[in-house]
Order: sequence, then C-alpha cells, then structure tokens
Amino acid sequence: MKIRTVLYLLLFISGIIVAQQNKNQSSKIEIKEAWIRVAAQGANTALFFEVVNNSDKPDTLLAAESELAEVVEVHETFKRENDMMGMRKVNFVVIPPRSTVKFKPRDLHVMLIKLKSDLKVGEKSEATLVFKNAGKLKAGAVVRDMQMMMNK
Amino acid sequence: MHKVLINCLLIFWLLTGCGNDFPVIEDLGSSNYQLTNQIEKEVQFPDFVKGKTVIAGYIFTNCPDICPLTTNNMRLIQERLKKENVKNVQFVSISFDPENDTPEVLKKFAEVRNLDLSNWTFLTGDKPVVDKLMKHVGVVAVPGDSTVFPSGKVTYYYIHTDRIQLIDGEGRIRKNYPGSSINVDEIIEDIKSL
Repeated sequence: MKIRTVLYLLLFISGIIVAQQNKNQSSKIEIKEAWIRVAAQGANTALFFEVVNNSDKPDTLLAAESELAEVVEVHETFKRENDMMGMRKVNFVVIPPRSTVKFKPRDLHVMLIKLKSDLKVGEKSEATLVFKNAGKLKAGAVVRDMQMMMNK
Repeated sequence: MHKVLINCLLIFWLLTGCGNDFPVIEDLGSSNYQLTNQIEKEVQFPDFVKGKTVIAGYIFTNCPDICPLTTNNMRLIQERLKKENVKNVQFVSISFDPENDTPEVLKKFAEVRNLDLSNWTFLTGDKPVVDKLMKHVGVVAVPGDSTVFPSGKVTYYYIHTDRIQLIDGEGRIRKNYPGSSINVDEIIEDIKSL
C-alpha cells in the first residue's frame, strides 16, 4: 500500500516537472509581429511573423494550424536565374538558440491555402504554430497589405 | 566613308529607341491579343491601351507572396502618379493562369484590396492566347510545387518571371523591372521621361 502511494506520488511529481519544463520552454519561444496579407475567399495568402528563441537550446517549427484555410503549410519563396521566382513547401524550420527567425515576404511564410472567407485589411485573426519543444503556440495576427512590412 | 559611318550610327540610333534610355525590347504594336477583363468585357491588348503609357504586371492569384507584392507595388506607383498629377497612364495586370483566374476571381482579387480600377484593368483569356502573349512579352510561367487538398484536388504553384513592364503608347515594351521589388522612384522617373 505504501509502495503504491509512493509510486503515485512520484508519478504526480514527475508530471508536474515535465509540465513545468514545457511551460518554461514555450515561454522561451515568442511569436512577434504576426500579420496576414489581405486576400479573398477561395484564394491563398500568407502569414508572416518573427520567432524569437530566448533559450540556449534550438527549437523547430514543425507545422502550422488555422481555421482560416482548408490547408495550412510552411513554405518558402525562392529565386532562380532570369528573375524567376517560385515557392516550395518546407517540412520544418530550425530556430537556433538566442536568435530570431523572420518569416517575411519573399522568404519563409505560412501559406494559408484556399481561404474560407475574405480577409480584409484591419481584421484580426489567429493561427497556431507547432514547435518540437515549445509545443503549440498561438499567434494573433492582423490583416495588412503593406509594402513597408517587406523591409522590416 | 564618313557618310557610311554616319548612316550606320543613325540607323543604330533609330533602332535603339532614338537615343534615349529606353530601347525597344519588344514591339507588341502590330499584334493583338483578345483578352477578357475583370467585368467580362472582351478587349484587344495592347490596342485598347494604345496612346497611353502602360504599366503591365504579370500575376496568378493563387500566388501568396510575389504576385501580391507586384500588385501592391503597382498600387504604390498609381498613388504616386496621382499625387504628382501625371496623367495618361494605364495599369494592366495580366494573369498567366487563366484556368483558375476567371474574370470573377480577378474582380475579387482587386476588390478585396480596394484597388482603384479607374485606370487599372485585370486581364485573363483563353489559355493558348495567354501563352502566346506571355511568350511575346518574355514572361515564363511553369508549374512547380503543388498542394493536394483533402478532396484529392491538386493546385499547382507557378515558378514565374517576376515582372513589371513599361510599355509606350505604341505598344512597345521599353523597360523591364522586378515586379515584387521594383524601385518605385525609378519607374516614376522613367514614366515621366519616356
């Protein structure tokens, strides 16, 4: 009886420790400056943001989720010779320790594919970013269509 | 001997655009492409804009990054020209993905961005016509990566030329710019001095 109680107690304590570790890890990853480019229902658009890793360990963005679109994927824009531009899916993005990775126009972005409704300038929305260590983090984003965001 | 040299220089001067900074890259003036605008009206391009300086952008609306940037840059150019009271300029956005970009899709693309369509036309058309036009203007668009929807439907994303063009009143392409990263000051000066 006593052994079982001790085991339950140990299990409970280890659960608290793991939860606390996850909490600490997630607070070390910050999502900043999130915005979505204006787009019409049925079209595709992109979510841009900055990921700040305040910890001494790398983390990895594995996926993104959103109710705004039928499919959500992490993509990157790439350049080829003769002013050719393209876009491709990426399976993960490593966020090195003590660094900021910018998801920005002409670069990395979360692609919102086939929007369920219009996204108009000024509207606010939300997406979830899934990290290997930090878990699921919400990103509140505002809809914009601003060239100046490109240079940030 | 001197006369021959002078004649050669004169011919070279005429062929390269009368000595200014805008040599003729391609002459669309003698061609006409039947396209459809965002309100489903058929137009002959470039005939319907002849006599005006044209800022042409090439897009597909499923593009989430480069083409919206190109469109936004065209809006910035339009706003600057309005502010500086530069007139007789027409904006044209032509889709190289006519199978998806119907007039209705183009209309929505413009509406959700609150674009001023008083001197801006969005164009689509039959695929063979659009393909021929793209070849003529030097814009390449080939299917690249794709997304498979839960329904099994597949959408392709184009690898394409990132382009805005300056076309003169006679339908001649005079300068190419990178559409998504164009220097707005540069094209404004070019429009004024064309």
